[in-house]
Amino acid sequence: MKLRAIKGIVWKDVREISREKMTVFWIIVFPMMWLLVMGGIWGHTSPPVTVKVGAVPHDGEALSVVHRMSNVTLSGRRLFSVETFGDGARALKALKSGRISAVVVFPAGFGKNLSTGLPAEVLVYYDRSDPQEYQIARGAMEGFFSGFSNELAGTREERLVDILNTVLPRNTSVKVIPLVEGVARPLAVKEGESPGERVNPILFFLAGVMGIQFLFATMSLIGNGTLREIERGTLRRIAASPATAWDFLLGKFISTIVVILGSIFGLIAFSWLVFKATIWPSPVGWAFLLAASLFSMGLGLMIAMITRNVRTTSAAINLISWPMMFLAGIVVPPSTLPGWARSFVNYFPIGRALKDFRLLEIHHVRTSSVIVDLILLLGIGAGTMLAAAAVYGWTVRRIE
Amino acid sequence: MMKALIVRDLRKTYGKTEVLRGIDLEVEEGEVFALLGPNGAGKTTLIRILAEGLSYDTGEVLIFGMPLSKETARLMGYVPQESIAYGALTVEENLRFYADLYDAPADGVGELIGRFELPPKKKARELSGGQLKKLSLAIALLHEPKILILDEPSNGLDVPARRELWEIIESFRRGGKTVIIATHYMEEAERLADDVAVMNGGRVVAVGTVDDLKRLVGEGSIIHIEGRLRAENLPDGVDVIGENPLRVRDVRRELPGIIEALVRAESEIRLVRIEEPTLEDVFVKLTGRGLE
Repeated sequence: MKLRAIKGIVWKDVREISREKMTVFWIIVFPMMWLLVMGGIWGHTSPPVTVKVGAVPHDGEALSVVHRMSNVTLSGRRLFSVETFGDGARALKALKSGRISAVVVFPAGFGKNLSTGLPAEVLVYYDRSDPQEYQIARGAMEGFFSGFSNELAGTREERLVDILNTVLPRNTSVKVIPLVEGVARPLAVKEGESPGERVNPILFFLAGVMGIQFLFATMSLIGNGTLREIERGTLRRIAASPATAWDFLLGKFISTIVVILGSIFGLIAFSWLVFKATIWPSPVGWAFLLAASLFSMGLGLMIAMITRNVRTTSAAINLISWPMMFLAGIVVPPSTLPGWARSFVNYFPIGRALKDFRLLEIHHVRTSSVIVDLILLLGIGAGTMLAAAAVYGWTVRRIE
Repeated sequence: MMKALIVRDLRKTYGKTEVLRGIDLEVEEGEVFALLGPNGAGKTTLIRILAEGLSYDTGEVLIFGMPLSKETARLMGYVPQESIAYGALTVEENLRFYADLYDAPADGVGELIGRFELPPKKKARELSGGQLKKLSLAIALLHEPKILILDEPSNGLDVPARRELWEIIESFRRGGKTVIIATHYMEEAERLADDVAVMNGGRVVAVGTVDDLKRLVGEGSIIHIEGRLRAENLPDGVDVIGENPLRVRDVRRELPGIIEALVRAESEIRLVRIEEPTLEDVFVKLTGRGLE
């Protein structure tokens, strides 16, 4: 191994890459833009929303519920924007046109049942064309009616207790009344604050952009960088020099890692400056990133050596990277993925590495719970690199 | 004197095309050796086997008695046809990179920049064709090789740049080093080479000094005479190869006899020019076709 040759290749690559405007954009600027956009949209607590509701009341009691619905506020903003319709058909037409997100039909007899203490029901329709909006509208409606139902239960309970107090003997009512309360409100759910530091959602996206860098940029840098050496004829020259194939590959790997680390440090600083939150990985966290990069670089080099063409290599890298960014849970939370896609999170090495990295650096799990994964991933990374080196050697011998 | 290069029965095929068909060569240490031939003759393939480690089918290649290896790579400096400089790097950065690659002395970088008058801070992509060629030459000389190999070094260069390049090559030879040039420029081979191998169709068809090769086309120079000529009673053995103007093939010693015969026949002579045979003539004679 010739350290001077390796050093020469590293410096040459870093200088070359830093002077290519397009590469600088994709390696340095684009990840920051991505973090800014993703973090700006989803990186903090969701803003208050207003759900557009169509109401079809058939009596005065229903109208009073609609009125109450109109006055519900969340974070100082009205939760519902209610439009009243004379009949259900018109309300459903408005729902189908997308003008409103939900329709509440208060059937005939609703008011009477309500006032006489009998079970009352409402019929709710949702616009399901936008899954996100459907979830919000449904959550808001269920929350409102759950609250209204609890309030109603409280009123009815008071009336029942009054009746029981008058009709039952004193010692009997003492035992019965708590049971009545339990029937009226079987379960009370209260939201509490967990102790300790709160996890900032931006950290999820910061880890995601780091994942993009290791998935996409490392693959592309080493694959296309090696192919450019072939196309310019410089690889033949390097291969004919006293430097060995391993010197060349080590130089390429180190220069790629140096460039990606530059990008990662930039992201860490950018996140801190813009969002006042960042991740400074622990040594084990860095080891996960190294494992991911070994796998990614090996894969990129293999693709390049098999295709022997910059365009085809770029296309193949895009073909792998873009679906994996989503399917492997790199830029979207794995919880939002369908069941079949979650296997990519667990078995695609970069997805798995990032999942463990997040557990370690965002949720601060114990190192012992991810160490087996780390050893496996380092093994997979090293194996991929060895396979790539073999393919590289085979290809270089055939350069005519 | 030791042989700098020995090539024995070297064969190479690309697919079904045999591009080298049993090459045999010997190059003495300290000489300039030219591989002369048209495009497709196999010169570049031979050069790439020597300097780039291109694989070959059969045969033997020895550099100072050693088979090709990483060790012999250190003994050779190579200037390929296309520049191997990295466009985004400056002249100095390119030289430093190759110095690292060949483990060459770092102070050689400044010395070569000065010797070739290269702009150290200019990016390679901003250099002229002549400057790029000089940079390639500087890269090849960084590790002080014993053999300098150049593939079509004059390609794309204007006349002043070409002459400057030749002076650099001659100064290298004066330092006792061996130079191997592949070229299809006769002028280049004539000016620089001690020995020339004429290649055609993957074979070496003749090897020797320039004078040796010229002798192959015949003993005589061509004497070109213009005027109102009456080509009668020319000396025996003079070969008339054209009449208007008169072109005869003869040795120079016959020139007085030819002029005398023409004057005696009352010819009016306006111009007499002697044309020496060229390597082009040699090539045409050996292969039946031109160099271009």
